[in-house]
Amino acid sequence: MTKWHVIPGGQYMGSFLRRIHYLLHWRRISAELENDMEFHREMAARAGRNNFGNMLHLREQANEAWGWTWLDRLAQDLRYAVRILQRAPGFTLMAVLVLAIGIGVNAAAFSLFDMVALKPLPVPEADRIVRLERSSPGNYTSEMAYPSFLFYGEHARTLSTTMAVLGVPPMQIDDDLEPSTASFVTANYFTELGTRAAFGRMLDPNKDDTPNAPPVVVLSFGLWQRRFGSDPNVIGQVIRLNKKPATVVGVAPFALVTLGGQYPDVWMPIVQQPYFVEHSSILKDWDNSTVHMWARLAPGMSAKTAEEELRALTGEIRRQHPTAVWDGEYIQSSAGGHMQVMQPRMYQVAAMVGALTLLILIVCCANLGGLMLARAVTRQHEFEIRVAIGAGRGRILRQLCTESILLAALGASAGLALACAVIRVVLAKTDAPKWLSAWPDGRVLLFTAGMTFVTTLLLGLLPGLQVVRQRQHKMLARQMLVGAQVAASSLLLIIAALLLRATEHALFTDPGFGYEQLVSIDPQLSHHAYTAAAARAYLDQMQSGLRGVPGVTSVSLVKMPPLGHVVSNSGVVIDGRPVTLYPNWVAPGFFATMGIPLRMGRTFYAGEKHAVIVSESFAQQQWPAKNPLGQFLGEGATKDIVVGVAGDAHINALSDDDAAEQYWPAQTEDMPDMVVIARSGGEPGSLAPAVKAISEELDPSALPEIRQIKVLYRQNVTQIELLATIVSCIGLVAVSLAAVGIIGLVAFVVTQRTKEIAIRIALGARPGAVLVAVLRQFRWPVIVGLAAGVGFAVLASKLLRAVLYGVSNLDPASYAAAIATLAVVVAFAMILPAARTLRMDLARILHYE
Amino acid sequence: MSNLPEPVSPAGALPLLILRVLQSGSLHGYAIAQRIHLLSSEVLAVEEGLLYPTLQKMLLKGWAEAEWGISETNRKVRFYHLTPKGHAQLASELSSFDRVTQAIQDVLRTA
Repeated sequence: MTKWHVIPGGQYMGSFLRRIHYLLHWRRISAELENDMEFHREMAARAGRNNFGNMLHLREQANEAWGWTWLDRLAQDLRYAVRILQRAPGFTLMAVLVLAIGIGVNAAAFSLFDMVALKPLPVPEADRIVRLERSSPGNYTSEMAYPSFLFYGEHARTLSTTMAVLGVPPMQIDDDLEPSTASFVTANYFTELGTRAAFGRMLDPNKDDTPNAPPVVVLSFGLWQRRFGSDPNVIGQVIRLNKKPATVVGVAPFALVTLGGQYPDVWMPIVQQPYFVEHSSILKDWDNSTVHMWARLAPGMSAKTAEEELRALTGEIRRQHPTAVWDGEYIQSSAGGHMQVMQPRMYQVAAMVGALTLLILIVCCANLGGLMLARAVTRQHEFEIRVAIGAGRGRILRQLCTESILLAALGASAGLALACAVIRVVLAKTDAPKWLSAWPDGRVLLFTAGMTFVTTLLLGLLPGLQVVRQRQHKMLARQMLVGAQVAASSLLLIIAALLLRATEHALFTDPGFGYEQLVSIDPQLSHHAYTAAAARAYLDQMQSGLRGVPGVTSVSLVKMPPLGHVVSNSGVVIDGRPVTLYPNWVAPGFFATMGIPLRMGRTFYAGEKHAVIVSESFAQQQWPAKNPLGQFLGEGATKDIVVGVAGDAHINALSDDDAAEQYWPAQTEDMPDMVVIARSGGEPGSLAPAVKAISEELDPSALPEIRQIKVLYRQNVTQIELLATIVSCIGLVAVSLAAVGIIGLVAFVVTQRTKEIAIRIALGARPGAVLVAVLRQFRWPVIVGLAAGVGFAVLASKLLRAVLYGVSNLDPASYAAAIATLAVVVAFAMILPAARTLRMDLARILHYE
Repeated sequence: MSNLPEPVSPAGALPLLILRVLQSGSLHGYAIAQRIHLLSSEVLAVEEGLLYPTLQKMLLKGWAEAEWGISETNRKVRFYHLTPKGHAQLASELSSFDRVTQAIQDVLRTA
């Protein structure tokens, strides 16, 4: 059986095009229809019929066939919304500004996240680049032994190419005083990334991939500008790097793209590393993890299949070189085609920042909600008229939503511009890679659109529903809005206060060791194939040499130097509390040189074994109310006896109060990994020439890295300072918004009740009592909001513990300061507009009403 | 249920009637209404409120097109005429209409 109207499928496309055609020419087509109907009416009138009906209505009915009526109505709604907003420029400006801040802060935060973790590197097939790292249940390192790297690269079928990067201590160019940062990379690194040199050429696998090839170096664009005065003739020149001559073959482009966001001053092929660093054993050493490994997945291969294949290859390495692989080791892959390879911990930070910026949006929405609510009341009359002349409630609701869409779109545009400006400043102020641009990409636009949608829902629907229901829940709504703003602002303020306290603490409190005059000297003997005995001899001579330098008061050895490149730790739970253990191996003089006090017991004897010194807080947690001296640590047959308790000094975790230290006596086999630390009476920077002279004499090929702990410490603190500044800014924005919002709401309430207030005062009520009566409705919202904010802060700040430099996340001073600030702001915001009313001319108010 | 023909309603029948009266040549809107009215021995009256939306739908579906012309009263007006697609549509609607009326008559005769 057939239906009466059959539309063959092929017609849909044609009718769609005709619809579009109509949309483009609707004015003409509509006029034609009008003419037809006019003619029809004329003819009907001739025939004696005059009941043609409402022409406009008939025409609208006919036009509906084209399916564009909704657009027509939307345009109508929009025109009306524009008129309405134009008529209240103050409200519109305020609303757009508030929204711009709310959406802008979120868009900026998301843009940063996008740049770091989502935006693919502008290199061919960025989505197939993976970062490969060693992992096992108890261990993790981002680096890999070079022979293992070669083994994986040679045997893995799931990887089409592999790249390695070896970061090294800064190198000296010619006779420069300032060292330059350097990286060794596999020769295919730049060809894989499709890098075009600004001048000359980049590294070339056909020319630079053999150890015997002439030594070459590629300069970074920045170094070329700074040190070589942007001279294009530098190509072909021979420069000395750590005294080894090498030919400059090229200058990297200005907007260089690299893996993992590394931007050293000079690049050299990794196979030539033994030439530049004499006696280095890195390229042959299976047991020392030194290079970062990157790879490109073979076509059609997933990261998972690659991981499985690598797991089998790891087993193969274990058979051939048992010491090169940990128990249960596997190679962990992560997407590498972004600026940063994201670690789980970084996602945590990102989530936290996201939560904070969302709070801002909530404050903004609550704020605007208040404004809209007040407007809805003043527009009550208008709505009543529209309902009276036949507008349905749905139609009014749609009109209100259109208005908030318009507002949100305006706010979002302004917010996006704001975010763009913020990102521009951030990119200019930090040494961000030059290929990054501040312009929002598709993801940021989509995110902003999503934010706008959510905002529209929050803004439009709530007051809209209220109007439609025509019920008097306005007081409750007002209270909720005030409560939400107070809660969100107090949370932000408390976190800002905690971070500020942490900064202050870090800057002005003793970190437990005397960092001001310390220098660490890392000769990296293990990278130069030193045996334990040779290393011991070298270090002994280095120490005695240093003791002879004027100003040096103390010298010692440590395996994990303060604020070092390598950090070793393990998480344990003591008494249900998570503690991060930082083990270290030290010489007996370590505590004296570092200025870490010994609280109990003694330091190690020379050559002592099976002894351990623990930090004060570790001792307290492990053996509460017991004498820690004489206790045993360690598992298995060889237990180590505790001989001393040192003061807390989180030398490799400055900001983490949950860190605890354990020190073991360094044995002879540890010697190749040891670092010399020296305390100098004078300026520690002045030690460098003396150290260089001593090392030159001992072994000209070993070039120790000399670092001033004071400088590292300042750098470390700068990060928390920056974080504290950002969060404080966000907190201040939130509080100012909340203040403005509360002022608006209270002013509105007071205006609504002006007459009542005037009558009360005229009847003899004291102004204070009237004020209390008016503001009473806000008492509970403020209290509940504060309580909620504090509650959330207590929960959320647990995540912050590791960056608080020992300030408790429940630090009473921070909480008190934040709450007091907010209380003062809220009090002012409430009393100011209320008090203004009290000063008004009562007689005039009463007459006016 | 889906096998049963839809009930014959004036709204459903109108496109078929318009297609049929346009088959022999182009007509303006008023003439279409007049023609149907006359041909049905003045049984069917075409409402303007139905005629013009239906004509717009036929334009949308590409069954008909409109061109400017001069009416018998010497006035500029648009004449509607069928497209090839419209002719095909008419043929298919006619045949299905025939089948359905035939079926209905069969039922009416024998039941």
